Amino acid sequence: MRKFRLYFEEQHRSPLAQLWREFARQHSALFGLALFSSFLLLSLVAPFITPHDPYLQADNLLLLPPSWSEQGLVQYPFGTDDLGRDLLSRLLKGTTFTFGLALVTVIGALLAGLALGALAGMSQGMKSSFFNHLLDLILTIPSLLLAIIIVAVLGPGLANTAWAVSLALLPQFVHGIRNAINEQLKKDYVTAYRLDGANNWQVLTRLIIPNIWEKIIVMSSMALSTAILDIAALGFLSLGAQAPIPEWGAMISDSLDLIYLAPASVAIPGLLIFAAVLSVNLVGDGLKTAMQRRRES
Amino acid sequence: MINFLLRRLFLLGTVLFGLSLLAFSLGYLFPGDPLQNFSGIRQLEPQLRAELTAAYRLDHSYLSQYLAFLNRLWHGDWGLSLASQQPLLSEIRQVLPATIELTSYALLVSFLFGVPLGILAAIKPEGYLGKIINTITVAGYSLPVFWWALLLIMVFSVGLGWFPSGGRLGVLYEIPTVSGFMLVDIFLAETPYQQVILLDALRHLALPTVVLATFPTTVMIRFVRDAMLEVWEQNYIKTAKAKGLSRLQVLYRHGLRNALLPVIRQIGLQFSALITLAMLTEVIFSWPGIGRWLLDSIYQRNFPAIQAGLMIISVLVITVNMLTEILHTFFNPLARKR
Amino acid sequence: MIKYCLSAAMLALGLAGCSAEQQDLRADGLVYCAEGAPEHFNPQRVTSGTTIDIISQQLYDRLLDIDAASGELRPALAKGWQSSADGLVYEFDLRHDVQWHQTDYFQPSRVLNAEDVVFTFNRIMDPEHPFHFIGGGIYPYFQSVDWASLVKQVSAPEPYRVRFELSRPDSSFLSNLATDFAAILSAEYAAQLLAANTPQLLDSQPIGSGPFIFREYQKDVLVRFYEHPHYWRGPAAMQQLVFDIVPNNARRMAKLLTHECDVIAYPRLAELALVSERPDVKVQESTSMNVGFWAFNTQRPPFNQVKVRQALALAINQRAILQAVYFNQATAARSVLPPTSWAFNQQLATPEYNPQAAKALLAEAGLASGFNMTIWAMPVQRLYNPNALKMAELIQADLAQIGVNATIVSYEWNTFRRKLTEGEHDSVLIGWAADNADPDNFFRPLLSCAALESGSNRAQWCDPVFDRILNQALLTDDQLQRRSFYLAAQQYLQTEMPLVALAHSQRIQAINSQIEGVTINPYGGIALFSARRVQP
Repeated sequence: MRKFRLYFEEQHRSPLAQLWREFARQHSALFGLALFSSFLLLSLVAPFITPHDPYLQADNLLLLPPSWSEQGLVQYPFGTDDLGRDLLSRLLKGTTFTFGLALVTVIGALLAGLALGALAGMSQGMKSSFFNHLLDLILTIPSLLLAIIIVAVLGPGLANTAWAVSLALLPQFVHGIRNAINEQLKKDYVTAYRLDGANNWQVLTRLIIPNIWEKIIVMSSMALSTAILDIAALGFLSLGAQAPIPEWGAMISDSLDLIYLAPASVAIPGLLIFAAVLSVNLVGDGLKTAMQRRRES
Repeated sequence: MINFLLRRLFLLGTVLFGLSLLAFSLGYLFPGDPLQNFSGIRQLEPQLRAELTAAYRLDHSYLSQYLAFLNRLWHGDWGLSLASQQPLLSEIRQVLPATIELTSYALLVSFLFGVPLGILAAIKPEGYLGKIINTITVAGYSLPVFWWALLLIMVFSVGLGWFPSGGRLGVLYEIPTVSGFMLVDIFLAETPYQQVILLDALRHLALPTVVLATFPTTVMIRFVRDAMLEVWEQNYIKTAKAKGLSRLQVLYRHGLRNALLPVIRQIGLQFSALITLAMLTEVIFSWPGIGRWLLDSIYQRNFPAIQAGLMIISVLVITVNMLTEILHTFFNPLARKR
Repeated sequence: MIKYCLSAAMLALGLAGCSAEQQDLRADGLVYCAEGAPEHFNPQRVTSGTTIDIISQQLYDRLLDIDAASGELRPALAKGWQSSADGLVYEFDLRHDVQWHQTDYFQPSRVLNAEDVVFTFNRIMDPEHPFHFIGGGIYPYFQSVDWASLVKQVSAPEPYRVRFELSRPDSSFLSNLATDFAAILSAEYAAQLLAANTPQLLDSQPIGSGPFIFREYQKDVLVRFYEHPHYWRGPAAMQQLVFDIVPNNARRMAKLLTHECDVIAYPRLAELALVSERPDVKVQESTSMNVGFWAFNTQRPPFNQVKVRQALALAINQRAILQAVYFNQATAARSVLPPTSWAFNQQLATPEYNPQAAKALLAEAGLASGFNMTIWAMPVQRLYNPNALKMAELIQADLAQIGVNATIVSYEWNTFRRKLTEGEHDSVLIGWAADNADPDNFFRPLLSCAALESGSNRAQWCDPVFDRILNQALLTDDQLQRRSFYLAAQQYLQTEMPLVALAHSQRIQAINSQIEGVTINPYGGIALFSARRVQP
C-alpha cells in the first residue's frame, strides 16, 4: 500500500543531503569515494596489519617473484625486493607515508591558509593590495619547483618534504580562500549582519565560513591530488623519503635498477599512486558536479 | 588597452622585483659560505676573497648587497657553476632551448588533440563517446608523470624497439649547435645524412612529447568541454539554431570562436605546471634541458646554479603568463575592463 | 578529422620503420655507454677508473704495455729496454714511427721522440716545471708510489733514447711505467700552448699518440673521438667512437637493449641472465684484479682504536653481502690482495661473522652503549662494488644489532670523491682496481703514508711499520723474498684492520652481438682499438 499522504507537503532536504543525493547519482564519484575511504583506512591501520615487518631484511629470500608465479610463496603475495623485504607490507606501510602524509600536509596548509586568507580577505586597502601582489608572485612558481627549492635548502628527508609541500600548497589555499571571502563579503546578508552589530570575527566564523566550506573542500581535494603527486615525485627524485622508508615514490626509484628482473616492484607502487590520485580526483569532480547540479535544481 | 598593458607591465615589474629578492635571500638561506653561494668560485684564496667581498659589498648592509646583486644580474654576471666553474648564464643558454622546444611541441600536441576531443565530448555529454573521453581525461589527469614515462619506455622502447629510450639525438650524429633547437639546427647543418638525422631526432622527440603532453591535453579537453557546454547554453547559439543553421555551422561560426578564447589564457596558466612536469620528464628521458640541469645541480649541491635556475624558470613562467594574458585580452574585449 | 588521424598514424609508422637507412653512419661508429663523466683528459692527474676507461687507452700510448693473459710487460712506445746491474739506471729505445694526433688546434711537425717522454715525467716530478701546477699539481698515482723521490732524473741522451736514473732500486718501476697513468704527452703541443698562454688546455683539449683523436666533449653528456689514421699500430676499425655518459644502471641496460649503445659498462649482475638469453646481446667475463672494501677513517675517534675496527669487522655478514650485492659472482676477500696474485697469503684467517664477539670488543673499548657513525656509499656502480648503497643498507642493519647507529651518506660521484679526499667521512664503501700485475700496486696507493698525502688513502692510515715492509719489498728483484714481505704485510693488515676487505669481482661487460674485438684488460682501462662491427 502506498504511503498515505493526507496533504501535500514539500520535502525540503538540507543542502548537505541534496549534495549527497547528487553525488551518489554519479557512479564514478561513488567509486572514487570507496577508493578514497579504503586508502584513508589503510593509511591509519597499515602499521598494524602488515603481514611482515616492512624493514626486515630476509637474506635467504631475495627477489622472490609474486605469489602467482611458480617460484613465489603465498606468504609473500607480491614477492620481495632485493634485500628480502616483503613488498606487500612495504606497500601497505607506504600508504601511511604517501597518502597519509599528503593528507596531513593538506590539512596543515588548509588551516594556515584559512588564517592567512581570512586576514587577507577581511583587510582592505594598501595592506591587502601588497599582500595580493606577493601572492601572485608566489603563485607563479610551480608548487613542485617550490617544494624542490625548499628541500634543497633544508636538506632531503620525509619531514622536510612535508614542510616543503605544505608551504608550496599554501599560496593556492590563501588565494582561493581570499577570493571566496571577498566574494562573500559583497553579499547582502553580510551587510545585514554587520548592521546588526557583528564584528569581524563573528562575521567570519558564523557567516562566511559556513558558506564557503564547500568551496574549501573542493580546493582541498585538488590540493590533495597535487600533494600526493608532489610527495611521490620528491620521493622518486630521492629528495624526499630516504631509504629504507617505503614511501611509494621512493620505492619506484629504489626498484628502478630491478625493472627488468622484477617489473612488478616498479609497476605496483606507481599503480597505487595513480589509484590514490584518481580516487581524490573522482571525489573532487563528483563534488563539483554535485554542487553545480544542486544549484540548478 | 594601453592602460591595461601599463598595469600589467607594472605588475610584471613588482613580481620580478620580488623574485630577485627571493633569489638574493637564497644566497644566505642555502648552507655554506654566502660568498661561495653568490660567486660559485670553489677555491677562494684570501686575496680573491677580499676582492670579491668588496665587489659584492658583503661587508655593507643587506640593501647595498642586494643592489650589487641586481647590478651583477643586469650585466650578465650570474656567477659560476660550483661544479664546472663555467659561467652560469652560458650553461643555461645551452640547456634552455631544449626545454622550450619540448614544451612547445607538447603544448602544440595538447592543442591539436585536446580541442577536437573536447568538442567531441561536449556534443553529447551524457553519450557513450562523452563518457569514454571523460574517463580517459580523469585517468590522464591522475597519472604520476614519472611512472607513465617509465611505462611507455618499457613498452615502446625496450619492449617493441620503436623509439629510443632517451636523449635528443643519436650520439653518432654530430650537429653543430646554432640556435639550440634541434630541428632548426638539423636544417641548418650541412650533412648528406640530413633526412636520416631528422627522422632520428623526431623519433627521439616522440615519447617525451607524448608523456609531457598527457597532462595539458587532459586539462585542455576538460576546459574546452566545459567552455563549449557553457557557450552552448548562450542565447546567441539558440538564435543561430532558430535561424536554421546546421549544428556544424553553429559550432564553427559561433561556438568555437567564443569557447576557444579562454583556452589561450588557460595555456598560460598551465605553463607553470607544465614546467615541473617537464623537469620530471627530462630526468627520465635524459633530455638535456634546464629541468634536468636544475635537478643535477640540486644533487651536486651546486647552490649558485640552483639560484640561477630558479630565477630563469620563474622568469620564463611569468613571461609566458603575461604574454598569454595580453594575447587573451587583445582578442577578447570583455577582459579588458579588469 | 579522420584524415588528420590517419596521416598522423602513417607518420608514426613511417618513423618506426625507417631505422634501416641509418646503418650507413652507424656501421662505422661505436657507442660505449659509460657510467660517469671524465674529470678531464690527462691520465697523469687521476685515479678514477671512469676517467681512465674513457681516455687512457684511446688517446694515449705508454712506454710499456701489460699482456692481458700473462701479466708480463711488453714493448709499446719503447722497442726495448735495459737496466743497469745495480738497478739504478733504466734506458729505453723508442720507436721512430709514432705519429701525433692532427687536429684543428694542433699540427705536429715531428714524430714522437725522447723529448716527449722527458717532458711527460718532468711535469710530474719537477715543481719548477711550467706545467707542474697546471690543474692543481696533484698526480695521485705517482705521489702514492713516491715517484718524485724515487726518480732522480729523466734525460734524453739521444733523440730516441730515454734514460731514467733512480735513487734506489725499485722492482715495481717497470710495472709502474706500464700503468695507464704513465701516458706520454706531446712536448711540442705543450710548448705551443705555453706560447699562446693557455697551458690549461693540455688536460682539456688533449693531444696524444693513441688510436683515437679527441673531437669534442659535451659536459656530462658525451665524448666524441675520431680514428687516428696514422696510428703506429694501424688505423682502428671504427671511424667514430662516442662515449655516451649514462650514470643510471637501468638506463644503460635499456640503451643496450634498444641498440642505442653497443657496449655498456658495469651491467647489473642480476640482469646478466636476461642478457644472455637474448641473441642480440652477449656477456663478456674475465678475471680482474680488484677489491671492494669498507675503510674506516682511522684518524677519527672511535675508529682510531684497533678494537673498535675489529669489532665492526666481526659485526658484518660478508656472506650475505656477497649474495645480495654481488649475486655470488665474486670471491670473498680475506685481504686486499686477490687470491690470484702470486703474493697472496694463504694462511690468512677467514673473516667470521660474530656479533657477540663484536659487542664484547666494543665493551672492552669502552663503547658498550654503542655510538653513531656514517657510512659513505658511492652512488655509482664500480668494478669492485656494483651497489654500494645496497651494501650500506645491509651493513646498517648488521650494525644496528650491536648497538651502532649508522647513517648512509651519498653524493653525486665527483662531489663524493672530492669530499672523500678531504676526509669528511667516518667510513666509506669503496675499492680498488689494479693498474698492473705488481702486488705493490694494491698496498702502496691505498695504505701508505705517501698515499695519505696524495688523497687515495681512504682509511687515512699512516703506519711507519707498514711502510717499512713495503719499501723493503721493493729493494729486491727476487720474487720469493718479495713474497715473504708481502705475506707479513697482509698479516699486519689483518691485525690492524684499517679496512675490511669484502670481495674480489669479475670484470663483466655486456655488448652487442655484432661487435667483436673489445678487450677487457685485467689491469687497466678498456681498449677499444680493435673493436669492430662484424655484421651490418
